Amino acid sequence: MNDSEAAQQAPAEGEVGLVESQDFVSNEPFQFESGGTIPELSLRYETYGHLNAAKDNAILICHALSGNHHCAGVHSMDERKPGWWNFVIGPGKPIDTSRYFVICSNALGGCSGSSGPYSINPKTGQRYRLDFPKLTVRDMVKAQSLLVDSLGIDCLHAVLGGSMGGMQTLQWAIDFPNRVGRYIAMACCARHNAQAIAFNDTGRQAIVRDPVWDNGNYDPDSPPGHGLSVARMMAHITYLSDAGMEAKFGRKRRSVEPGAEHFDVEFEVESYLRYQGQSFVGRFDANTYLYLTKALDRFDLHSPVSLDDTLAAVTAPGLVVGFTSDWLYPPQGNREVAEALLRLGKDATYAELEMDFGHDSFLVRSPELYNLIRTFLDR
Amino acid sequence: MTHSNKRRQVDYQIIARWVGEGDRVLDLGCGRGVLLEYLKQKKSVYGVGVDISFERILSCVKRGVPAYHGDVGALLATFDDNAFDRVIFSRSVELVDDPDAILAEGLRVGKRVTVGFVNHGFWVNRLNFLFKGQRTINEVYPRAWYETLPSNPFSVSEFDAFCQARQIKIENRVYLSGNWTSECTVLPNALAGYAIYDLSK
Repeated sequence: MNDSEAAQQAPAEGEVGLVESQDFVSNEPFQFESGGTIPELSLRYETYGHLNAAKDNAILICHALSGNHHCAGVHSMDERKPGWWNFVIGPGKPIDTSRYFVICSNALGGCSGSSGPYSINPKTGQRYRLDFPKLTVRDMVKAQSLLVDSLGIDCLHAVLGGSMGGMQTLQWAIDFPNRVGRYIAMACCARHNAQAIAFNDTGRQAIVRDPVWDNGNYDPDSPPGHGLSVARMMAHITYLSDAGMEAKFGRKRRSVEPGAEHFDVEFEVESYLRYQGQSFVGRFDANTYLYLTKALDRFDLHSPVSLDDTLAAVTAPGLVVGFTSDWLYPPQGNREVAEALLRLGKDATYAELEMDFGHDSFLVRSPELYNLIRTFLDR
Repeated sequence: MTHSNKRRQVDYQIIARWVGEGDRVLDLGCGRGVLLEYLKQKKSVYGVGVDISFERILSCVKRGVPAYHGDVGALLATFDDNAFDRVIFSRSVELVDDPDAILAEGLRVGKRVTVGFVNHGFWVNRLNFLFKGQRTINEVYPRAWYETLPSNPFSVSEFDAFCQARQIKIENRVYLSGNWTSECTVLPNALAGYAIYDLSK
């Protein structure tokens, strides 16, 4: 059974099913950490489950770099793929929507409907492009907090996320200690190491050296696809692992058509990555990619004060999860956060999962991870 | 209550005796977090457990016990001197790679260190080796050598000699007899089934 056949069936029990995105709009100017402002803030988001009367059962999910607010269910019965964390979120699932009210917003700066370089500046009627203010993870969290305000929620039962979502999660626990009941930061770090910055910048260079990019002034209908797809292909490799790629592709070959050129697709892995790069161009904005990767490179819990001093603000119990095969945000970077929390006498737990799927392990079906998330959320 | 639970609780009561109200406690080789949960209830400690098994960390999460999944030595190295009021090794010293270095680290990070261990010099072990030429298989050592983790068992007198050689102060010690319930006061190296030491630098 392929994906399209699966989607044609009615949502089975345990699925959130059909969902609709909503828009949160604040007409107040939004000020960024860098000092820049935008005249109004818009965040696209989805919710699943029901907010209880006490408004204390809300869970905020923070998505990763290329993710968005659509993390569970389908928008229409024809949708090929449900939201990116569908197997974790739903009635009876690890994040149980029969108990919890789940919120996920497209991050500030994102290109799936929230204010960002790709969105229209209401003052000019044009896309912000590079006029969008310099963006930080802290800005993303501040914007989310306004959304949470608008839903009438004082304290979230939990905040969780992986990768960029893990960084947002940590920032939530630091900036809004009284509003976070508990948190789970997965495949994250206190700051990028040189390797992570190097990969991000190589991706950015692929984009800005694509002549179509034109200082960010490209036509959205014909974006700098060469640059963006190469950036995505390279980044995608960093989300996998050697063992994972070997198991999935090895040296498997495509059937080569007669007359194929020397450098046309020959191996399965080439075909897979080219497809990943190409499909990314269709769903992601190049300027947004520049902004978000830069926000991640600049994220640094060791600055302006030490990591321990930064984390001293945290009060909620936390769970940090590293993955053995993650070489982008390796286990030691996750451990570093947990160790600092424990030095500070915080209620913190570190767990490390042995999975072959690299950085993207948190997006992969894993009974151990599910069990861990469910147990921590319910305790 | 099973016999082994009863034994475990006697062990816990003695460990708890040396723990102060609200102490910061680090339990190295914390297993499923049962001891820390007990200490939290009895003494309102801030306790952190360390274990190398994911399943056991998951059990700690269930119990609400903060826990660190990883290597004991690597974690100890990240703490300042005297970061904890007490560091506990409950049946875990015999399992670490470099007991000498790990105990020194434990004594650096903890103001006091508790070491609980099965006394390998217990007379039953001696008789088994003397008459059968085999190690003891009983409730304490339920599995054959090929089914167990690499382990470095030692006796009361060997541990005393180690403390003397490293100039580690023995503040308190309690020996339990072979049934692990009553205290043993004479000839501990031969008659004690279990020993619990309270150490300081």
